[in-house]
This record gives sequence, C-alpha cells and structure tokens, in this order.
Amino acid sequence: MRFLTKNLSLPVIVTWLIYVFLLVPSLVVIPISFGTSNELVFPPQDWGLDLYRRALDPAEGWLAAAGRSMVLGILATTIALLMGVPAAYGLSRSRFPGQKALTFMLMSPIFAPTIVVALALYLYFATLGMTGTMAALAMSHAVVITPFILVTTLSGLKHLDRNIENAAMVMGATRLQIFFHVVLPALKGSVLTGGLFAFLLSFDEVIVSWFIARSDQPTLPVKMYSSIQWEISPVLSAISTFLVAITVVGSVVAAFISSAETDGI
Amino acid sequence: MTTPMLRRDGRTRTMLNRLGFGSFVLPLTLFMLLVFCLPLIGVVRTSICDGDCSLVAYVDFATGKLFHRALINTLSIGFVTGLVSVICGYFVAYHLSRMTARRRRFFLVLVMLPFWTSILVKSFAFTVILGTDGIINNALQAVTGTDIVIPMIFNRAGVIIGMAHWLIPFAVFPILSSLLSQDKALRDAAEIMGARPWDIFWKVTFPLSLPGVIAGGLMSSVIGMGSFVTPALLGGRRDMMMANLVDFYVREALDWRMASAIAVILVLIALLILSLAAWLRQRQESGAAA
Repeated sequence: MRFLTKNLSLPVIVTWLIYVFLLVPSLVVIPISFGTSNELVFPPQDWGLDLYRRALDPAEGWLAAAGRSMVLGILATTIALLMGVPAAYGLSRSRFPGQKALTFMLMSPIFAPTIVVALALYLYFATLGMTGTMAALAMSHAVVITPFILVTTLSGLKHLDRNIENAAMVMGATRLQIFFHVVLPALKGSVLTGGLFAFLLSFDEVIVSWFIARSDQPTLPVKMYSSIQWEISPVLSAISTFLVAITVVGSVVAAFISSAETDGI
Repeated sequence: MTTPMLRRDGRTRTMLNRLGFGSFVLPLTLFMLLVFCLPLIGVVRTSICDGDCSLVAYVDFATGKLFHRALINTLSIGFVTGLVSVICGYFVAYHLSRMTARRRRFFLVLVMLPFWTSILVKSFAFTVILGTDGIINNALQAVTGTDIVIPMIFNRAGVIIGMAHWLIPFAVFPILSSLLSQDKALRDAAEIMGARPWDIFWKVTFPLSLPGVIAGGLMSSVIGMGSFVTPALLGGRRDMMMANLVDFYVREALDWRMASAIAVILVLIALLILSLAAWLRQRQESGAAA
C-alpha cells in the first residue's frame, strides 16, 4: 500500500512524533548526566563527570543500593530459573486434569495488579517476621519474575523437535536424563534470554521492593523512588543513564542470543 | 504367564513417567501456593478479620469521600490512558505492519526500549521534560519571549502522559498481531474495485483490527488502573489512585484491614474488565463463525 503512506502524510508525521515521544525520556537523561551544575538544566552549560563521581561516592549510598539490587536480581533469577524451567518442561510434555487451572495459577502474578501482590507479600512476611530480609525480597521477586521464565521457556519448548526426546526415551533414557542431556542443551538460548529479562525485571522492580525492603537498606529502584519523591537531584540522571545502558546492553545481548538461535536452526 | 508381567511393567513405567512430569512441576507449584496464593488469601482475610471480624472496611469504602475520589480517579485515569495508548499504539502498529519483517525488527527495538526502561528513569525524565522549569516550558519561553508556563506535571496531565508512555507498547502488540493476520488480498480486492485508501482503511483494515484494538485498550486500562509509581511521582494530591491509597493505609495509617479491602476491590475491578474482554472476544468469535 505504497501510495497510502504517501497520501496520508499527516498520519506518518503523527507516527514519527509518537516514536519520538517513546524514545525521548530514555535518551534525555544521557546528556543531562554529563552536566556539572547542581541544578537540572538542559542542555547542560558545562560538561563533566561530576554527577558520576557523586553517584559513585559511597557516602551517597547509590553504590550500596546498586549492589543490593544486583545480588537480589541474581538470587531471584536463580530461584525462578531453577523452578520455572523444569515446570515449563513438565507442563508442555504432559496432559493431566486441571492443567489449565494450574498454568493459570502459575502465570497469574503477571495479571494481578503489582500493588496487590506487594501488599500480600508484605502482610505475609510481616506475619512470618521476615520483612526486610534478603530472603523475603528474593522470594517475592521470584514470584513476580517466574511467569516470564515460564513464557520464554514454553515458547522455546514449542520449537523443539519432540522426536529427539522420543528417540532418547526409546533408547532407555529416564525423564531426568532426557531433561538434562536433550532438552536443556537445546533450550539454552531461551533459558538465557528468559533469565536475562527476568534479571532486568527484578533489577528494575520497585513496588514490591518498596513494601518489603528495609527503608535503611533500599534497593536501587526504591532509593530512586524516594529520591524523586523528595528532591529531584541531578545525580539521578547519572543513575538513570546507568540503568538505560544496562537495559540497552541486556536487550542487545538477548536479541543477539535469540537471532543466533534462529539462524542456527 | 509373561503377558501380565509385561502389562504390569508397562503400567509401572507410565506411572513413573507421570510422577516424573509431576516432579518437574511440583516445586514451582508448591512455591507459588506458599508464596503467592497463601499471601493473596491472607489479603482477603485481613480485609475482613484483623483482630475482630467485620465488614467495616468495605462499609467505609462505600461511604467515604476519599475512597470515592480514589475509585473515580482509578477508573477515569485507567480509561483515558487506555484510550490514549490505543490511539498512539494504533499509529505505531499500523506503521510496523506495513514494512518488511527485517525492518520491523529494528523498529520493534524502538518500541521495546521504552518498555524495558525503568519506570523510575521515565518518571525522572518526565519531571525534567514537563516540569515548570522543564525542557518544554523553557523552550516555549525562549520561542515566545514570554514567561508562559504550562502546568504539565503534578496534575492529571502528567499522570496520563507518563502512564500512556508506559502502556503504549502493551497496546501496540495486540493491534499489530491483528493487523498482521489480515489477508492482504482483501485490501487488494477493495483497491481493484476502486476504493480509495481512506475507504480501504476505514471499511476494511480498521474493522478487521477491532479485536486487537479492544484487547489492547482493555489490557492497558487494567494495567493502568493498578499503577502506583506514576501517579505518586507525576500526579498531584488530587490524582491519588487506589494503589496509592493502599500504600497510604499500610505506611501512614497503619490500617492493614483498610489497605486489604482496597486491594480486594481493585482486583475485583480488574477481574470484571478482563472477563468483559473475554466475553467480547467470545462473542466476536461466535459471530464470525455464524
């Protein structure tokens, strides 16, 4: 429909404006982060790395928060992968009564409003006397990110040739052997991309952490949240640039893995 | 004598296999029962029983002015952002649907980048862009030479801009998939019969993409209604939504029962809208079949 796009120039302009609208907020923080002043100005008058120096200053607490988020992300992703990948395999390779309901239950953290999940986990861990612990945080994040592992693993499993598994079974391999020696190696790509996205989700998660984390030991997003709420400091632009960079690197790596996988097939 | 042996052997084998699959799903199932379902049941219980058991929290919700405002805010902000996201998402999805798969891959990254960017980065960026001393207002002042200030933040406009930005990708994907599933021959046929581009769009393309539009709209509305960060950071005092009220009752008022009741009502609203979506889809499918 060549001439359609040519004739409808107004819709085309609107479309490009929407792309700009989508991209600008992620990009605008980058030039600001290389400014030096104590006020937020765009474009910056002087350029320098002052804001990064301040962001890395241990006294500001950003480094500790980033470290906490990193540890939390790794823990939660590990829990989610250890339980999610086998579960996806079990769900995709068997039929049993109530399977639909079980799948819905396992996926439901995606549909439930995050605030409700956050409140539920807060009350739960408060009754158990575990609020503020890393264990509570890691389990809470695992609940939120496991459905995404399920989705990516299930879609990876769909592309696997079932005949290879059948062949292994005919030759006498047990379920576990098939899972570890046949399915997992073939599934490496989707498990890696799923894990990567799950980690990013956990690293950026703010609402559940806002309820569960101790206020004197915030994760990076929680520290950002309270910082934006109280005073909007230019240091935030350096932190934001760091987060955008992580997102871009993560997405590029994920795209690379998945395209390598499709090329391989 | 050998046949029953074999049969038994076969039976044990299938049973073991079944158990084998069960053991793959079991750990996650137990985990979700313990750390997701049980806590959710706890919320419903706390909304009624916190010390003593009564429906006082729900009665308060039904009668309190603060709750009415939060409820109306939640519904209206959710509806408006859903609408804005669908309109913006349609432009993007249409653009994406009319290009080669290779080019689409690149443009999808442009849509996914904001999707994956932390909501805090975006909120911070919007305070810089929309603020009274922000980029847009500064540019306006420079261009017009006046000290005009358009209030775009800490009000309803800020919430809707911030939320639409976050929800547009959720609208793009269902619309894109319904646009891509359309048979190009239909449009070609309309074109051959002399229909003009606008007519083809409004009489062929758009009606056929309605399922995607409805799915995207309801999806982004529901997600928007549960949002917490955007109204807290980009909205004013009057834009408090139900999620923010939950936070308020947990942290400031220390009233777990009220917080839980608000959460239960929020889930009920989301369920209602989602089942409306399912019903619409079902009706459409049976309509298409008939």
